[in-house]
Amino acid sequence: MWQRASLKQRLLALVLAAITLVWLGAAAFTYLDAREEFDGVLDAHLAQAAALLVVQASHDLDELETEHAPLLHKYARRVAFQVWEKGHQLRLHSANAPQQPLTNKEHGFSDTTIDTHRWRVFSTWDESGEYLIHVAERADVRDELARDIAGNLLRPLWFSLPLLALLLWIAVLRGLRPLDRLARDVEQREPDNLAALDASSAPREVVPLIERLNRLFSRIDASMQKERRFTADAAHELRTPIAAIKAQAQVARSASAEAERLHALDNAILGCDRAAHLIEQLLTLARVDTLERNVAEPCQLRDIAAETIAALAPVALEKGVRLELLAGDETTVRARHGEAEPSGARVPASHLLPQSADYASNVSEVHGNPELLRVLLRNLLDNAVKHTPPGTSVQVSIVREHGTTSLSVSDNGPGIPEQERDKVLERFYRPLGMQASGSGLGLSIVKRIAEVHDASLQMAPTSENHGLRVTVAFKH
Amino acid sequence: MRILVVEDDALLGDAIQAGLKQSGYAVDWMKDGASAEQALATEPYAAVVLDLGLPRLSGLEVLRRLRGRNAPLPVLILTAMDTVDDRIKGLDAGADDYLIKPFDMGELAARLRALIRRASGKSEPFLEVAGVRLDPAAHRVLYRDRPVELSTREFALLHALMLNAGKVLSRAQLEEQLYAWGDEIESNAVEVHIHHLRRKLFPELIETIRGVGYLMPRDKGA
Repeated sequence: MWQRASLKQRLLALVLAAITLVWLGAAAFTYLDAREEFDGVLDAHLAQAAALLVVQASHDLDELETEHAPLLHKYARRVAFQVWEKGHQLRLHSANAPQQPLTNKEHGFSDTTIDTHRWRVFSTWDESGEYLIHVAERADVRDELARDIAGNLLRPLWFSLPLLALLLWIAVLRGLRPLDRLARDVEQREPDNLAALDASSAPREVVPLIERLNRLFSRIDASMQKERRFTADAAHELRTPIAAIKAQAQVARSASAEAERLHALDNAILGCDRAAHLIEQLLTLARVDTLERNVAEPCQLRDIAAETIAALAPVALEKGVRLELLAGDETTVRARHGEAEPSGARVPASHLLPQSADYASNVSEVHGNPELLRVLLRNLLDNAVKHTPPGTSVQVSIVREHGTTSLSVSDNGPGIPEQERDKVLERFYRPLGMQASGSGLGLSIVKRIAEVHDASLQMAPTSENHGLRVTVAFKH
Repeated sequence: MRILVVEDDALLGDAIQAGLKQSGYAVDWMKDGASAEQALATEPYAAVVLDLGLPRLSGLEVLRRLRGRNAPLPVLILTAMDTVDDRIKGLDAGADDYLIKPFDMGELAARLRALIRRASGKSEPFLEVAGVRLDPAAHRVLYRDRPVELSTREFALLHALMLNAGKVLSRAQLEEQLYAWGDEIESNAVEVHIHHLRRKLFPELIETIRGVGYLMPRDKGA
């Protein structure tokens, strides 16, 4: 509830509470301070009064009646005195003094309680030692005085607090006006207006909020533009295969020769396959595009590679391309020993390194999303099989070195010239000479999946000026 | 009529080539802008079908360079871009017409016919010389209101001669217009087709200028 309360109400309540607290504190301090002051001053008065009585007693007490002295002031009722001759006969006392001694002490100050009233008493003997004099004052007088002073201090609070509340409310409203303006600005925005808010006139406290908002706006804007561009690109890219299907179908319809008709129909079917592939790739890209980098699940690259290769091997064999997997123990051992052996020489790990079974099983482990890693490898293998000449092989290798697990796909195709390597990662870019059967999206998908896995993507010739090796390196 | 098709998409290019052949054109197919430019510099095409998104040299650039050489050749652009801006850009760069993918093969052929006809300075869809009436759209020839059966090559040859009525065309010029690259040309193919045309129509329709070429005399009234 506190969190939902208005900032203004909260501010007002806190300020008023602080003021009240400080005021009450000041009153309490004044009360205590006044008490202390009064104690000093009034004690001095008591002593002074006693001294006067002593003088009086030694001179003309004899002439005085054993009567009480008259009341001269409103506080007089609260002041009392007794004069005892020889300490046991009450010679003179004030009207409000009791008959019994005010105190048992004969010198100095003492506190005593008579008839439920507390008294402060000063006692002394006169110089002759004949009279004992008690001068007393009701202690509650002192409390009352101190309370009055503190009360006077508190009284303005009762009427000034509402006034203060009103003034504070106005001040708070004025003070928070920039915040209201900001709220209004944001509220009145069109939903698709993602322009930055003006932070130049905003108060310092709100600037970080505006900056965060602006950063959020620009991120949303970028992703919306990306989406729009993607939709437009996708629509355009689909026009060409559909145009081809339509044109081929129309050629088939008006073909006079059977062979021409069949050729056109076959091409139309091929065009449908291509459009379907393009749509599939577009959907994959759309899916990986929106992923965040939070995919982390232990995956065995070796298992993923084996599965993917098994799925693609029939297609590759049809083209006369062999798929090979160089993964796991033997490559790791070679890498660990730094032996420059030809890749054909494989030595089982068990012969070289005595190690636990779980070491071997962790060799190709990376953290990621197994489904996406399959898509990545399938795209790389599709490309490799497409471009490598029949009768050669495509190699998938998994190497763990210096805390990095690298997955490489090497082919014996024409490779990609250095200046083209960045461009082929762009969407819908197809290098010259490539058959248009590709969607132009495969490497974009690979790049995006690598990004999601925080992995680097590298392209290099397999050997000098020949072939292409794409390496995806997973850091740990 | 020889047409240059520039299209980088294998299936679409193949279809356009096949479709235009069915309409009686000789078709050369180039897959990138640079080869298209080379072909345009050396071969006599009646028209160009140009895709805009080409590797090596964009379609617009090919078009600009072509117009830079003051070549009057009709150009029809094929584009996947469908915004008005893109069309304006294409037309401003010197295109005569455009089609947005996917398009109809029949419409493509019809637009090419219209472009070629206008380029030869004629506005009516029929060509008529000495009582011979040629309808490029229907692929029909009437002589004295009777239909005449012609093969595709014969029709194309007659079309070329009628478009250039009153001008002498060399055998090489006719061959270039009739045959695409890679087509097999028999050494006396043009003579054979001319012979057939004279027989099917009338001998005086086409004059032979010995050592130079052939001429279809223009109508006296025209």
